[in-house]
Amino acid sequence: MLEIKELSIGLDEQHIVKHASFLIKHGKISTMIGESGSGKSLTLLAILGMLPKEMRVSGDILFGVRSLFGMSVEELHSFRRDEVFVILQDAFNSFNPSVRLGKQLFALSEGKRTIGYSTFLERMSPIFSRLHLSNDVCEKYPFELSGGMLQRCMIACALYKKPSLLIADEPTSGLDLYSQKAFIKTVVEMNREMGTTIFLITHDIDVVKELADEVIVMFQGAVVESGKSDILLNSPKHSYTKQLVNSSFRMVE
Amino acid sequence: MSTHKKQMFCWSFLLVVFLVTLFSSYLTPYDANTMNMSEVYESPNGSHLFGTDHLGRDVLTRLIQGGKVTLTVATVATILSFIIGLIYGGISGYLGGVLDTVMMRIVEVLLTIPSILIILVCQAFMQGNIWSMILIIGLTSWYTTARMIRTEFLKLNQMEFVQMAKMIGTPSWKIILDHLLRNSIQAVFVVTLFNFAGAIFVEVSLSFLGIGVPPAVPSWGNMLYHAQSDFIAGAWWIGLFPGLLIIFTVLAINMIGSSSIKAKGGQ
Repeated sequence: MLEIKELSIGLDEQHIVKHASFLIKHGKISTMIGESGSGKSLTLLAILGMLPKEMRVSGDILFGVRSLFGMSVEELHSFRRDEVFVILQDAFNSFNPSVRLGKQLFALSEGKRTIGYSTFLERMSPIFSRLHLSNDVCEKYPFELSGGMLQRCMIACALYKKPSLLIADEPTSGLDLYSQKAFIKTVVEMNREMGTTIFLITHDIDVVKELADEVIVMFQGAVVESGKSDILLNSPKHSYTKQLVNSSFRMVE
Repeated sequence: MSTHKKQMFCWSFLLVVFLVTLFSSYLTPYDANTMNMSEVYESPNGSHLFGTDHLGRDVLTRLIQGGKVTLTVATVATILSFIIGLIYGGISGYLGGVLDTVMMRIVEVLLTIPSILIILVCQAFMQGNIWSMILIIGLTSWYTTARMIRTEFLKLNQMEFVQMAKMIGTPSWKIILDHLLRNSIQAVFVVTLFNFAGAIFVEVSLSFLGIGVPPAVPSWGNMLYHAQSDFIAGAWWIGLFPGLLIIFTVLAINMIGSSSIKAKGGQ
């Protein structure tokens, strides 16, 4: 689905991401794990074409057979609007604080506005009940809801849009254990039912163990290991991966 | 008094002042400029609640009518400075980069020149009419608004929801209006309030110095200007009432401003 080839990102003289290459396979759940500052989020920004202008990028990112770096602005917009859905770490900051949620969810899931707002609400309502959200959230402002609820609103958009690729950047880090579980469950369901390719960025090895088909380990800006999760997690080669696997809270499965 | 009560009190005081000045022509028993030489320098009494001045004009009437001029000058000047600040700060904050640096250095230079000095010089040249005064006050009080808007825009531009809106190809005008402007208004509101209080002060000071509103037009500052000589003559009421009204109005605005800051957590 996505192939990242020799991706390097630099600012001034520093290289923040160094020759990263990995694959996000179609229909699989891929996770990228690494400590804070290892270049995970920058890699994500590069995939989305949202890197700050002053950063230098080299290498290539292929979506199918087409290079993302070679796309025109319109093509890039349609790629980000129609093919991908992104859930960011901070659910609070993912919504405009002074606009009611309904309008925002509408803009996020129906970018092209081919249908009206009321039709949108009708279609959204079964998704809401599936996620244990009431329809009232549309009338609320973001600060009236908890982080977990806002995160579920984001997932609701993803379920509505049915993107071919769902990218989530540290989606569980601000949530309590129960919400984390629920989030993971929904993501796995999306993958199984709709065949959505999932790319999850996290620093939580337990999340990786729970759902990943593929693991990409990033350490100090470089991809040090990648492959099938059951193989990789059982016989880690790089010292950082070993350390990660040993740091898991769940000692006995 | 709790913060909320204090705010409500100040708002209602301002509302009364505004409404009374707005409908002054219906409320006042006398004409502001009708002289009555048989009632010169009358101290406050039943028919002239706030007394009369050196030409026998009713002080209360002039005070209410004068509010019209002072508040119009202050309001229009504040709106003008708000618009200029919004556009200047908005461009600077949204586009960023070198342009932002240059624009902000210009504002910093302008900020170092005391605006009262620029206003005095301009007024001396333009020989005060109301509109030139509005223009000058407006043109010299937008710096803080611009800086505030710029900071808010820069901050909001980095936030996830703006990034996401950009990602799905939301048009720029929509991002600027819905995401950036809408979320900066609250922060700029307080600055605009203080600007308004400042504008009242400038009108009053200029007219007090005799280079503001033309002498025939009643304004709070003009009344104080004439009250200087009247005070020596023993007519304390001519200066006292406009003075008190100016103090209370400006105080009310400032109190609303500072309690809004407190309510937001104090910055």
